[in-house]
Amino acid sequence: MHTALLIAGKDLRQRIRDRSAILLAFVVPFVLAAIFGLTLHDVGNGTVTFSFALVDQDHGPAARAFVANVLAPVEKQGLAHVRTEPTLAQGRKDADSGKVAATFVIPAGFSAAVASGGPAEVRVLGNVDEGIGSLVAHSLAQSYAGGVDGVRVAVAATGPQNPADARRLAALAGAAPRAVTIADVSTTRKELDPGTFYAAGMAVFFLFFTVQFGVVSILDERRDGTLARMFAAPIPRSAVLVGKLLTSVVLGIVSMTVLAFATHFVLGAHWGSPLGVAILIVCGVLAATAVMALVATLAKTPEQAGAWGSMVALVLAMLGGSFFSVAQAGGVIAALSLLTPHAWFLRGLGDLAGGAGAGAVLGPAAAILAFAVVTGGIALTRMGRLIEP
Amino acid sequence: MKALTIAVNDLRRLFRDRTNVFFFFILPMLIILLLGAAFGGSDRARIGVAGGTGGPLALALTHALEAQPSVRVDRLGSEGSLRSAVARGRVEAGLVIPAGYDTDARAGQTVRLRYFARPDSIAQQLRATIESVVAGQSGLLGAARLVHSERGTPFAAALTRATAAAATVPAVRVSLSAPDGTAYPESQGSFSNGASTQLLLFIFLTSLTGSARLIEARRLGIARRMLSTPTSVRTILAGQTLGRLGVALLQALIIIAGSALFFGVGWGDPAGTAVVVVAFCLVGVGAGMLLGSALSNEEQAGAVAILLGLGLAALGGSMVPLEVFPPAVKTIAHLTPHAWGNDAFSSLLKHGGGLGDVLGNVGVLLAFAAVLIAAATWRLRRALTA
Amino acid sequence: MNDSVLSCTGLRKRFGDVQAVNGISFRIAAGETYGLLGPNGAGKTTTISIVCGLLEPDAGAVEVAGAPMTTRSVAAKAAIGYVPQDLAIYPDLTAAENLRFFARLYGIPSAQARERVAEVLEVVGLADRGDDQAQTYSGGMKRRLNIGIGLLHRPRLLVLDEPTVGVDPQSRNAILESVERLAGEGMAVLYTTHYMEEAERLCDRIGIVDLGELEAEGTRAELVALVGHHDRVLLQGVGDLDAGAHACAELEAVRAASVRDGAIELIVDNAREVLVELLQTAAAAGVAVGGVEMDEPDLEAVFLHLTGKALRD
Repeated sequence: MHTALLIAGKDLRQRIRDRSAILLAFVVPFVLAAIFGLTLHDVGNGTVTFSFALVDQDHGPAARAFVANVLAPVEKQGLAHVRTEPTLAQGRKDADSGKVAATFVIPAGFSAAVASGGPAEVRVLGNVDEGIGSLVAHSLAQSYAGGVDGVRVAVAATGPQNPADARRLAALAGAAPRAVTIADVSTTRKELDPGTFYAAGMAVFFLFFTVQFGVVSILDERRDGTLARMFAAPIPRSAVLVGKLLTSVVLGIVSMTVLAFATHFVLGAHWGSPLGVAILIVCGVLAATAVMALVATLAKTPEQAGAWGSMVALVLAMLGGSFFSVAQAGGVIAALSLLTPHAWFLRGLGDLAGGAGAGAVLGPAAAILAFAVVTGGIALTRMGRLIEP
Repeated sequence: MKALTIAVNDLRRLFRDRTNVFFFFILPMLIILLLGAAFGGSDRARIGVAGGTGGPLALALTHALEAQPSVRVDRLGSEGSLRSAVARGRVEAGLVIPAGYDTDARAGQTVRLRYFARPDSIAQQLRATIESVVAGQSGLLGAARLVHSERGTPFAAALTRATAAAATVPAVRVSLSAPDGTAYPESQGSFSNGASTQLLLFIFLTSLTGSARLIEARRLGIARRMLSTPTSVRTILAGQTLGRLGVALLQALIIIAGSALFFGVGWGDPAGTAVVVVAFCLVGVGAGMLLGSALSNEEQAGAVAILLGLGLAALGGSMVPLEVFPPAVKTIAHLTPHAWGNDAFSSLLKHGGGLGDVLGNVGVLLAFAAVLIAAATWRLRRALTA
Repeated sequence: MNDSVLSCTGLRKRFGDVQAVNGISFRIAAGETYGLLGPNGAGKTTTISIVCGLLEPDAGAVEVAGAPMTTRSVAAKAAIGYVPQDLAIYPDLTAAENLRFFARLYGIPSAQARERVAEVLEVVGLADRGDDQAQTYSGGMKRRLNIGIGLLHRPRLLVLDEPTVGVDPQSRNAILESVERLAGEGMAVLYTTHYMEEAERLCDRIGIVDLGELEAEGTRAELVALVGHHDRVLLQGVGDLDAGAHACAELEAVRAASVRDGAIELIVDNAREVLVELLQTAAAAGVAVGGVEMDEPDLEAVFLHLTGKALRD
């Protein structure tokens, strides 16, 4: 064991000198996470505030109701920011130029039409590059229209005796509490906010590159002759293997831990309960080491091991949802995704994101360990060949 | 032509290594496959509904939701499975129609639907959509209540009257159009440009990672040996550029053809697309060659290539769409060639533009390419002849 | 038997179709320098690998300082210092770091390791560059480090596998001097080479190997004696040398004939007696003889005699 530690120590010293190791283990994942955090800043905080414009050509009670019952609440929630434009031309220009995502147009005579029960229309002019904003505006207008329809139907169904009665009924209907309400009960979220998702996704993606440095070095040393030198020394051969695996594990844990801290403090990523994260990291590192060890036993040269390792790392990361969520893919792909340690790692973090304690990660951790045991087992049976003369 | 010989030899060495076949061609197709599967042919968001079959009213509500073109509804059995589906991201949002919906509604009581979602912009859109659908039925029920309270009619009959009235009262129309009054473009949502953004990401990334081979050639002394033959530095550089350009174009062709054939991805006006692709390939080639001539350690080049390849792509809107960038970041994004390329594809795909509409963006891309190739040439010349 | 530092008996090793080592046995006494002389492909490196516990033989046994040597041995390996033919050093570590690492692997306690590393750096002449990374060294310096690592733990037996191949003359000389010095201090040395001069200069006893077999073994004098009172005659000339050698070989007095370096090399019973006949035979076969050399047999002649082949190809 002492010898294994010696060998791991030497390896780690070499890795620290090797700038590509530092790059891949720390710099690259952090920078990428930072970029993602930057680009997704608004999305992650749910603070995408849409810009809308309103052109009120009607100036009647219905238009005022639209502003008061639809636009004002939405502005208060911070969902949108509404500017009023005096003319249609101005409103059109705003939407066209992208100054606003969409412009609401309440044409002249709208209130009269609503009161009289005639045909009425609200127009939404949407900027073509702002799909989401335009659709939200459309839906807001539709909600309003639905409300107006409801009142008109209520009045018509009740059958007013005279215009005054109609107005009274309309007032009653408008003031009545809604028959169906929606309560937003989004409590704990088990999905990571985008910033944290990408921080974790990148970290676990690059983990597989980081751990390569340990296990693939057996191939390097075999080529360079220093492996033979170690075997000529009075040490058990297994010590070399253990030492190299140890190098991978240490590198992986240090890299992931530093990334977790760095993204937390610098980028504001929320990883969750430290104990839970630690458990996930350790399991993830073991799985990554096992996979890369298996790749190393199959390759003949260090370059081949590197290339194959990259392929495996990429495919697993994609399937596992490190780059984009594959949860909605359904069917085969979702099933395949669960074969990757990445998916379970992110799932475990997701469970923690809801504020759950460390115990929540035991399931995912077990899945990741199972992966490690299976691939590691196969690797071990082949490892003998690497260190055999 | 000597440059051609150099190019062909380069390619022969490149593809003798089978792993390169994977990286250049299979991997991008895999990504597009995954993207296609994950986001579906259309960009409709998925909503889960639980309890939608409790009674005719509940069913009507579910149908109304399903009729919305912008969403796809998954009917789930229980609130528990719905919560789980939302939690795992299998659906973006969930709506729970309580078990007593029909009974309570007919009794004139206010019914509460429960809604949960992930707090991001997609969910906002979904919330608005659900609100508008619910508003419809809520209005109907409200009308029935009014009839019941004013005329004393039993609720069931009141509802019938309300339904009949709804058929006669014209609905307030809401129209969505483009600012100039023309129809609003069909496919919207965040990931309609998935294939084109990934194309740009890949061309650039593989060009950069290919830089390691340039370094290897220098290290092995091959580049110098080439110089010792009666071949000018210019020819050598031309040969290397040609080779890489050929690979990039081939890769683009495979991605475009493959995604169009197998996943029905649309690519817009052929001439416009072709020009944008060629210009971007040149950018990639230039970047790869600059990296290859500036660095001298292959492993470091690999790491830097990944950093720049993924980083610039992310910044340029190839991973998360430019649309959701904060305004300041969107400006910074245009320091990358990817942003200009993605803008060009936006024109072609969303606005149905043609060659003329993308000339500006193509011009910028060609400028990028020119600068990069010039820098690469100068650096390589120095490295070879120093 | 018990004062031998190394004892190999009946070593055999096959790789696929090739019998690389075919029954090699030899002993090295304490303080003795033993050379394994043979051409490329003779099985020297394979034998070395077995001796150092890097390879398991198909048959046979190795004992080092009384302890059995296998790939798993610890005690036996502690007694051997290994210097492989190809450089086996970590280029991104300094000489001091390389040495410290292997010192610890060889079980030298940290306190002594520091001292010992300094000593070895001194011995191999790298004391002033000890803190530079090995990749910054010249080829010769790297070789010296390569040897230094083998010396760290004061082995009973130092094993050097063709240490001067591809080395510049100055470094080569330095290496040979180092080995002589170490041998002078009482270290046993196993030295493989295909350079006759080295074997003659350094070794107390020499084993001649070819095609995996130990053809003969002994001191220089003993080996030369094998060739008997045979003289070596070198006929330098132009023309059909092969025909000339062939023709000469037919003569009764000629023991062995081969063509080497543009000359016909002959082992003959009594050079002076048959010289004229040799010249005539060669001329008749179409060789124009330009110069003649006669000397006492050397190891190359021994090799030629034993195997019918030249030592160097």
